[in-house]
Amino acid sequence: MPTAEPTKPLENVRNSLLQVIPEAELRDRDYRECGYHLEVRLVMRGMRRVAREMKDRRFFLETITAVDFLEYFHLIYLFSTYNEASFRVMARVKLLPEVRPFSVWDIYSEAIWLEREVYDFFGIRFQVHPNLKRIINPDDANYFPLLKSFGKTKFTTDIDDILC
Amino acid sequence: MNITQLPYLKDIYAFLGSDVTAGIVGLLIIAAIVPLNVAFLVLVERKVAGHIQLRPGPMEVGPHGILQTLIDAVKLLGKEMVTPQSTDKLIFFLAPIIVVAPAFVGFVPIPFSPMMQIKDVNVGILLIFAFSSISVISILMAGWSSNNKYSLIGAVRSVAQNVAYEIPLLLATMSILIMTNTFKMGEIVQAQSSVWFIFYQPIAAIIFFIATTAETNRAPFDLVEAESELVSGFHTEYTGMRFSLFFLAEYTNMVIAAAMFTVLFLGGWHGPLFPGMIWFLIKTYFLIFVVMWARWTYPRIRFDQLMNFAWKVLIPFSLVNLLITAIVLKVL
Amino acid sequence: MLNPKTIDDTSIDQRVYTLNLGPQHPSTHGVMHLLVTLDGEVVLKVEPVIGYSHRGHEKMAENRTYEQFLPNPARMDYLSGMIFNHGYCMAVEKLCGIEVPRRAEYIRVITSELNRIASHFIGAMDYAMGLGAITPFLWGWDDREHILDLLEGITGSRLTYSYGRFGGVRNDITKEFYDGTRRFIDRLRGRFWDYENLINQNIIFIKRSKDVGVITKDVALDYGVTGPTLRGSGVNYDVRKMEPYSAYPEFNFDIPTREEGDCLARYQVRMAEMEQSLNIIEQALDHLPPGPIRAKVPRLVTPPKGDCYCAFESARGAVGFYIASDGSRIPYRIKVRAPSFSNLFVLTEICPGHFLADVIAIFGSIDVTVPEIDR
Repeated sequence: MPTAEPTKPLENVRNSLLQVIPEAELRDRDYRECGYHLEVRLVMRGMRRVAREMKDRRFFLETITAVDFLEYFHLIYLFSTYNEASFRVMARVKLLPEVRPFSVWDIYSEAIWLEREVYDFFGIRFQVHPNLKRIINPDDANYFPLLKSFGKTKFTTDIDDILC
Repeated sequence: MNITQLPYLKDIYAFLGSDVTAGIVGLLIIAAIVPLNVAFLVLVERKVAGHIQLRPGPMEVGPHGILQTLIDAVKLLGKEMVTPQSTDKLIFFLAPIIVVAPAFVGFVPIPFSPMMQIKDVNVGILLIFAFSSISVISILMAGWSSNNKYSLIGAVRSVAQNVAYEIPLLLATMSILIMTNTFKMGEIVQAQSSVWFIFYQPIAAIIFFIATTAETNRAPFDLVEAESELVSGFHTEYTGMRFSLFFLAEYTNMVIAAAMFTVLFLGGWHGPLFPGMIWFLIKTYFLIFVVMWARWTYPRIRFDQLMNFAWKVLIPFSLVNLLITAIVLKVL
Repeated sequence: MLNPKTIDDTSIDQRVYTLNLGPQHPSTHGVMHLLVTLDGEVVLKVEPVIGYSHRGHEKMAENRTYEQFLPNPARMDYLSGMIFNHGYCMAVEKLCGIEVPRRAEYIRVITSELNRIASHFIGAMDYAMGLGAITPFLWGWDDREHILDLLEGITGSRLTYSYGRFGGVRNDITKEFYDGTRRFIDRLRGRFWDYENLINQNIIFIKRSKDVGVITKDVALDYGVTGPTLRGSGVNYDVRKMEPYSAYPEFNFDIPTREEGDCLARYQVRMAEMEQSLNIIEQALDHLPPGPIRAKVPRLVTPPKGDCYCAFESARGAVGFYIASDGSRIPYRIKVRAPSFSNLFVLTEICPGHFLADVIAIFGSIDVTVPEIDR
């Protein structure tokens, strides 16, 4: 019966990632609290090496997303495995605005559209992407909706207490 | 000098007296029967579809929905006949007319009963086949002139399908024709007074049934107007009365096809108790019911599978059947 | 063969043309636009165009409290609305560390599995309708009506549910629901034979589905495919077994898989999953524990700072809610991982080389819900 508490895969993935990117900060997390087993923190570069390593280990790219922290972005990649025991790796890279990360579309084909979605909502432009145009918002939109500086968010106005 | 003494005038009077009158009366009968028939069949189709799908079908208009088609016809008459701007106007206008005309002609040689036959044309079967081939051109005209990719795909598929399935149809019919040595439909029915031909030629009957379902574009061969892929195929752009003309033609073709099957294989109007016409109608409508039943049971065949089936299965079988019939007839 | 990922729209030949399947189309499940480049009847390239149903759920999440966002997940994938609703509640409970009483977990499982069956009726029968068999589609809707009536009795809505609350569920199940579900299980077990006879033994259906749209394991890994689409290709991955949540560890059920990876395999996986869901519901009804249906939770939930990712299995695949919280009553970021987003783009890889009619069949067999893609 597969469980969510693996012991062996954790060590292997951790070690191989340390070999591939020595400068990353790896943290083991409690699955029951946060839903993933290993967190990889990168600064500005290194995601392609992580993705290549994950693909070699037969993990699939669950999703790519981003969080806007006003002065910087966190670009988050989630990898998970189909195999016997569940194991989820969350890799986040801290990006300054206007920085253009490299696309991983040649490693995971799905990334073509996931990265288009991130571009569409946050304005993060990926390098070496075959078709970086808007995917969900209108093609001629000149705004990036999920930025905290766009539209009505908590930082700009207070929540209407009438709604509560 | 008496007019009746001049020889050629006598012939002209005879012609004007019997043949033309018969012709006009016949045309009026067809013009009355065909729309009534279509109205009845549309309702039957919707009810059959409904009951197969565990629902009652139209129930609102009239008791159990009997007057539904009448109201539909009134609605269609009131709709605007939109002609899209970039179509080929003349062909767009002609296509529905040309598709309906062969349907009317097909009723002429069919013997509903020993007396009810508009004209026992001596090339009866050939007449029906020849005119039903014209409807292929009209489908192509409709698809081409609509200036719409869906319609064009539908029309192209229909041409290929119709041409492919006419061959087994003709070969199956020929197996019967060489048995009876005549094209006249009345005589073919007479020849079945003892045994129906379906017992002599079961394979030809099956091939004829399948090929005629394909010729009239009914499921499972209805990829011409495949709803889930091509919206509506070649009649996507037609509205109002023009659309109903296509419908009229389809259902009338179905009746003619079923009538031909009845004449060729099921003994026409032969039957024990009731008058001939009632038996003919029972057999024809039973066949139409089977065609509708097949429509709601089977999914659609894909185009390449359709062509494979026609060329690699039906034609060889019908050729072999024809050969065996010819040999048996020669030997016996 | 041209590389489908880097082609652009120039006609190489007079015979090559582009056809727009959608956005208004009788067969695409939702407002889906497929740009198909064809050579005669053979497909060269399929490009899905999405965004027609975008309603901005993720932006809405940043402007509402956690409770106010409760109606939204069901609108994302409206066919598995109950599963999304419970999954969102689960994500927030995970973040806050709230423990859900056992009776509530069982009720969540029962309603989720009923929702899964209802969704599979549409998914599997919509595939049959795409092939041209309209009858099983209407039979499936008839059976689905019973489920919707049952769920309406306890939740009040037929399609978009807001039944889960943080810490449990809103209402307890009634005796009517209990009896009705028992009757429904017996009835449905008898009905599977009808579907089997009409569809599985139908020669035309098999000829249209066998070896059409084969998804190999490598392609599935490349595109992040999950759900019945993946299980039809032989990979035994189901979040209910892999990362067990709620009351699923206490039930005995199988994960049906097929090896071939074609449309027929995916269809058969869906039908088999419906039977497994019936088993789960039966076991849950047999062992339903008494007790409270909702834990004591503050009126306005305030999760601690941090983030969490909660994965669960909807009818279409593995869904994930990623919630980043900054310690206030309003989420900082909610990202929904929609399985249909990943499953859809497999079309660009497997459709080239098939016929136009097959594109509709493959698209139906992947069972995509468009509003989930667009959010």
